[in-house]
Amino acid sequence: MRLVKSLALFAGLGLSAAALLAGPASAQKRGGTLVQITQPEPPSLGSYISTANPVGQVASKIYDGLLEYDFNLKPLPSLAESWVVSEDGKTVTFKLRSGVKFHDGKPFTSADVQFTFMEVLKKVHPRGINTFSEVTAVDTPDPQTVVFRLNRPAPYMMAALSGYESPILPKHVFSQGDIRTHQNANTPIGTGPFKFVEWRRGEFVRLDRNADYWKPGKPYLDRIVVRFIGDTGTRAAALEKGEAHVAGFGAVPYNDVKKLEKLPNIRIETKGYEMLSPVVELMFNTKKPPFDNAKVRQAISYAIDRKFVIDNIWFGFGKPTNGPISSNFAPTGLYTADVTNYNVPDGVERANKLLDEAGFPRKADGTRFEITHDITPYGEEWRRFGEYTQQALAKIGIKASLRYEDVATWLKRIYTDYDYDVSSNHLFNLADPVLGVHRAFHSRFIRPGTVFVNGVRWSNPRADELMDRATIEPDAKKRAELYAEVQKIVVAEAPLAWTHEISFATVLDKRYRDVIVSPLGLFSSFDSAWRE
Amino acid sequence: MRGRRLARFILIRLFQAVPVVLGVVVLNFLLLQLAPGDAATVLAGEAGGAPPEYIEQLRARFGLDKPVLVQLALYLKNILFLDLGYSFRNSAPVLGLILDRLWPTLLLMGATLVISVGGGVLLGVAAALWVRTWRDHLISVAAVIAYATPLFWVGLMLILVFSIRLDWFPTSGMEDVVAFHEGWARVVDIAHHLVLPTITLSLFYLALYTRLMRATVLEQRGAEYATTARAKGLTERAITFRHVLRNALLPIVTMAGVQVGALLGGSIVVETVFAWPGLGQLAFQSLFARDFNLLLGIFFLSACLVVLVNILVDVVYVLLDPRIRVGDE
Repeated sequence: MRLVKSLALFAGLGLSAAALLAGPASAQKRGGTLVQITQPEPPSLGSYISTANPVGQVASKIYDGLLEYDFNLKPLPSLAESWVVSEDGKTVTFKLRSGVKFHDGKPFTSADVQFTFMEVLKKVHPRGINTFSEVTAVDTPDPQTVVFRLNRPAPYMMAALSGYESPILPKHVFSQGDIRTHQNANTPIGTGPFKFVEWRRGEFVRLDRNADYWKPGKPYLDRIVVRFIGDTGTRAAALEKGEAHVAGFGAVPYNDVKKLEKLPNIRIETKGYEMLSPVVELMFNTKKPPFDNAKVRQAISYAIDRKFVIDNIWFGFGKPTNGPISSNFAPTGLYTADVTNYNVPDGVERANKLLDEAGFPRKADGTRFEITHDITPYGEEWRRFGEYTQQALAKIGIKASLRYEDVATWLKRIYTDYDYDVSSNHLFNLADPVLGVHRAFHSRFIRPGTVFVNGVRWSNPRADELMDRATIEPDAKKRAELYAEVQKIVVAEAPLAWTHEISFATVLDKRYRDVIVSPLGLFSSFDSAWRE
Repeated sequence: MRGRRLARFILIRLFQAVPVVLGVVVLNFLLLQLAPGDAATVLAGEAGGAPPEYIEQLRARFGLDKPVLVQLALYLKNILFLDLGYSFRNSAPVLGLILDRLWPTLLLMGATLVISVGGGVLLGVAAALWVRTWRDHLISVAAVIAYATPLFWVGLMLILVFSIRLDWFPTSGMEDVVAFHEGWARVVDIAHHLVLPTITLSLFYLALYTRLMRATVLEQRGAEYATTARAKGLTERAITFRHVLRNALLPIVTMAGVQVGALLGGSIVVETVFAWPGLGQLAFQSLFARDFNLLLGIFFLSACLVVLVNILVDVVYVLLDPRIRVGDE
């Protein structure tokens, strides 16, 4: 009797599992409005000139890119149907999709691609200036073909062609007037699944379905409204009540995520940040004693209890690490775990020993030296991380006083004046180490006044050389070897102490399906999202 | 005769306001220079790892590479022609940005003024009439509590109770962004969204006016003219409403003038909690983005508004109390 029952249950489970697997493909329904919360409000919608996070969350629905990516960071066709990279890596040919129209009805051709890369991204895009620096020309043999001519191979470029990173603009609109102050920055026209309708400042951006979208049947939603709600408590309330349906990137603080997770109408998703991969780091002013001494830096890295930080400050949304490259790059082979491991149970003892060796014995009051720790001004968890760091340093005899400033002041202190001892930050790895990782410790990136670069002012000729070689190495395996050595060197030398990879949490209303379907998450077009 | 004098008075006051407003502009401009970091740093910071060429490009575009005094002179020149400049951060002219936010601000401000002044006057008079009874104590204690409770907390609690638990009102925003109502339905929808923020913002001033009104009514009722009226055989009712109320309103008018100024800036908290698209939030965001063109524009507008309200308050004085004369006789 019992056996029969459990067999029946088993069969039932099997059936429902099959139904679940088969379900989404057939059940997608047209219609509905998705309300997305983006925080803060974007300053503009010109994702070709600003890479600020909120800009990307809105503009990625309007602009397509040449490529899309799957969760293994493998390129997929988008506006480009196919592509060929030449043997020497210096020519990349894209076949473009035909019959694609911009939102104003004008056709999309190779001229738009040429204009976008040569006249816009290469000149005014904050990261494009670097990413496409090797591109000398974009040829347009016919309306459906573009050929990128490179000075040297640039394998990382193929990872930077999404609609978020490199939006394709209509030449006939954006070539009129100055691109830097173009009026269409805030009334964007693209080829994407949603058309811009209205932006009421302080309230919302309204995007309506593009009925002529080139993917048949898509998008499923009628409309996306992006709302701006300044207060964290109100954001959580709007999601709880079902007035808003999706919010990510820390728009909802982790403690609220934990509360919302328990509601029947809410689902939490941590996928969709694989092409961003933020890694938290402690920064040391390596030109200033005592942080010019590698042993002091290593000691501090040993003193941080990664698990404690993740569990208690990031509410479990994170993964311990030692190195600069995120484990999200494991599928591409660029990540290695084979580096110095600072995440050990006897970290405090090792740290104390290192500090003794470095010539900083404990004084009569138990301290070795005093420093100031600059807290990252990005909100609650960063403040608590700063307070934790203070306590962790106290354990190894370093007396730290905390300093908290607003973003602009802090940026100037760390990246222009270099007037600090220790601070923390998190840099996005982005789609490739060349784009997101080199900047943190390659000596070419010691640039006073430029933010989010080598603010620790560390330089190591061997590491520089390896990174320069990896930049232009077309062979994936050789590239992986170069990066393995880079990771070994920087982790051992510890110009920065990498502590953990952050997992952002996206809060989703359960009625909405297939919202997060790409490693770009909220930076993707939402063309597959649908409402039950 | 009196009308002409009033008009002359207003003209003179408006004329005097010009140097005041300009002084405010110059002072604000210089004060903002003291803030470390600039718009280019913040923009580049958001971009995450912009090359130095990009930041220099930005500074040149924003005119930040010029000496401070040159920047000030340029700004003053533009202000004289009512050109508030361009917000590079928002890629839009400052005037348009401010005007977009002006009417939600005025709507919230107007509703709040009506509720807090109206309610405060009524409750204050009631408390004074019922002085030292349980009703007076109830009103006074409630006023003290409302006076002492932090705004953001009131806002969140109202959302929790009336929006999430009871489902009577929306949590935030100015209108329903799924339905996008039109015509009268839109008016009703906006009014529906206006309720919770107005209550939240009104509470503090409602309490203030209640206490103020209670005290002045009590004081005025003991004044000699009230005794005279009583001796004349007028009813208490007539004394209170015809004589005392009019005199007691003067401090309320003064307070309301101050409140208008405070509402412009002081509603930041309420605007943030209820995601109301007002000027306060705009000012707050532009400060952190070091978007000084926009911030100065908001300051300029606020200064103008405060000056105008002050003139208005003086005029209302004259209307309320004929003994007060304007200008030189």
